[in-house]
Amino acid sequence: MRQSILQGLEQAYNNLVHMIADFLPRFLVMLIIVVLGLLVAFILKYILRAVLRLTKLDRVSEEAGASRILRIANLSSMTVLLTRSIFWVTWLAFILIGLSVLGVAGLQEQISRLLQFLPEVFIGILILFLGLVTANFLSRAALLAAVNAGHPSPRIISWSIRFVVWILAISMTLEELGVARQTVIAAFSIIFGAVMLGLAIAFGLGGQELARKSLERYLGDSKKEKDKEPQPL
Amino acid sequence: MAEDNLLSDDLLRQLMNVGEVDLLVGISSHSNMSSVSPACDGIERIFQQHFVRQRAVIVNVRSGETNEGVVAAENPGKFAENRLAGVASLRTVQRVRADFPVPPTPATALRTILTAADLLRARACAVVSPETANLSPDWIANLLAPVYRNKFDFVAPLYKRHKFQGLLTRNLLYPMSRAVFGCKIRELYVDEWGFSGRLAALCGNKDVWHEEAIQSRPEAWMALSAIFSDFRCCQTFLGQKVQSATSSGADLVEVFRQTVGNLFWCMESQQSAWLDRERSEVVDTVGPEHELTSEPTDLNQHRIFEMFRNGVTELESILISILDPATHAEIKSIVALEEGKFRFRSDLWVRTLYDFAAAYHHAVINRDHLVQALAPLYRGMTFSFLAEHSDSSPAEMEAVSERLCLEFERQKPYFREKWNANVEVKS
Repeated sequence: MRQSILQGLEQAYNNLVHMIADFLPRFLVMLIIVVLGLLVAFILKYILRAVLRLTKLDRVSEEAGASRILRIANLSSMTVLLTRSIFWVTWLAFILIGLSVLGVAGLQEQISRLLQFLPEVFIGILILFLGLVTANFLSRAALLAAVNAGHPSPRIISWSIRFVVWILAISMTLEELGVARQTVIAAFSIIFGAVMLGLAIAFGLGGQELARKSLERYLGDSKKEKDKEPQPL
Repeated sequence: MAEDNLLSDDLLRQLMNVGEVDLLVGISSHSNMSSVSPACDGIERIFQQHFVRQRAVIVNVRSGETNEGVVAAENPGKFAENRLAGVASLRTVQRVRADFPVPPTPATALRTILTAADLLRARACAVVSPETANLSPDWIANLLAPVYRNKFDFVAPLYKRHKFQGLLTRNLLYPMSRAVFGCKIRELYVDEWGFSGRLAALCGNKDVWHEEAIQSRPEAWMALSAIFSDFRCCQTFLGQKVQSATSSGADLVEVFRQTVGNLFWCMESQQSAWLDRERSEVVDTVGPEHELTSEPTDLNQHRIFEMFRNGVTELESILISILDPATHAEIKSIVALEEGKFRFRSDLWVRTLYDFAAAYHHAVINRDHLVQALAPLYRGMTFSFLAEHSDSSPAEMEAVSERLCLEFERQKPYFREKWNANVEVKS
């Protein structure tokens, strides 16, 4: 009896020692990979920052209106955002590789799925960002055109355009991520269709007079309107 | 010169047949075919009256379509025979046509004319617009003579105007260009001007013809090229200008894009030449420097004011990113004034424009948007000007314009400081 207990304990001890002896090298390898990843991430961050400063990305971003959106969202400048992203993505990738070295059952499969999903996340973020920049640019262009044409509600036009582009960008992002695809498509179709139908009805019923005046001005009386301002040159 | 790609074989053949010339007049007829024939006949008459012994050529830049105007331009005898009766010319006036499959931009048309002038070794050249309904013989003679006889390199026109016509030139383009570039040429954005063969060669060789900013209005850039190359410039009085009935009306925003956008671009591209200039130089003027008429007008001043007020209110977020905070605060304070009490002070107007030009330089927003955002503020200045000068005499208006020019010059250090400021992108 005593002998059996001692043998069991010895076996358990041997197993533990064996497991530790088996696990420790892998753990050390993981640590080395994580530290190496940290170094690589830092190097990539500094290289990217230098490149972005040389290409004056922040100025381009400011000009395109993207920086303003980032400020509204309380985010850093484009350069800081991108360099931080590259740092964390690189390090995260190394951490995941390191974890896979541990050989924990089930974890590898999850890591592999996560790694497969990462490109879609990036494309989704890119689509969203481009959508925001495009929405800002187009809404500003519409606002200026409406103001200079003397339109009574320029902000409504501007916000309508911004809203439509946002909806489009968000739908495309969710579609890319594969989040409730059918629901997103249906929701987008319903919202977009409702907005357009609403505008058509509003203009057709409520804006008959406005439509008539606009057409008259556009087709026949535009010269008279222009003549009310002095010739600039 | 890079004429290989620009000039077609047909055009080169025509130019070689012409040989060298003394005088060249270029006309771009793509947008107004019907008025080409009278314009070309008029030009021919001028050559035969004022430059009897000189070898002359008319270069007509046009797009591919054929209609009566083109036929007329190509067959001068049929149309001009009777009109030119009694005029004794010692030379045949040559006509050359430069065909383009699609209507060329004004920049392409001008470059073609400059290249032709360089190849033909023309001594004096002029560009005229077929859209000018009252193109008189004296006009072209006045544009060519200072170049041919007095060795000037660039001749800008001066027009007789209604006192409320050309307010963009009076309140923005002239005073700002005078203060910044240091040259008192009143009309930089024109349809008719004269230039020498050597200026044609200089400009034709420059690598700027692809630039978007000069596609519609290359003439101001040409004038500045003359000024900064120390070429001799002058102005000549032409008379009252009447646009032809077929001429398209000017949309304010489009005019802004073409002129103010071009002016800001010229500042950007020529900054090394003007940043250190302190004073503005007088240029020689042939004839009166200005002439104003004051017939009654039916301008809708209330609408202009409303468009200014709405513009400033609606575009606040854009104006904040362009204007200095103090300038923006002052504009907001005057927007609140009643229409009857509203005045746009000249010092505020000057500061506003300098803020816009500096913002264009630093590209704080899309540059085309920036230029468009200035239009409502210009309307405010226009309203103020109309209200202030409804009963002013031409002399009083000239005095006010001169004071505005001096205000621009006084505030130039402020502009230079804004221009050179190291704009940090806020994060």
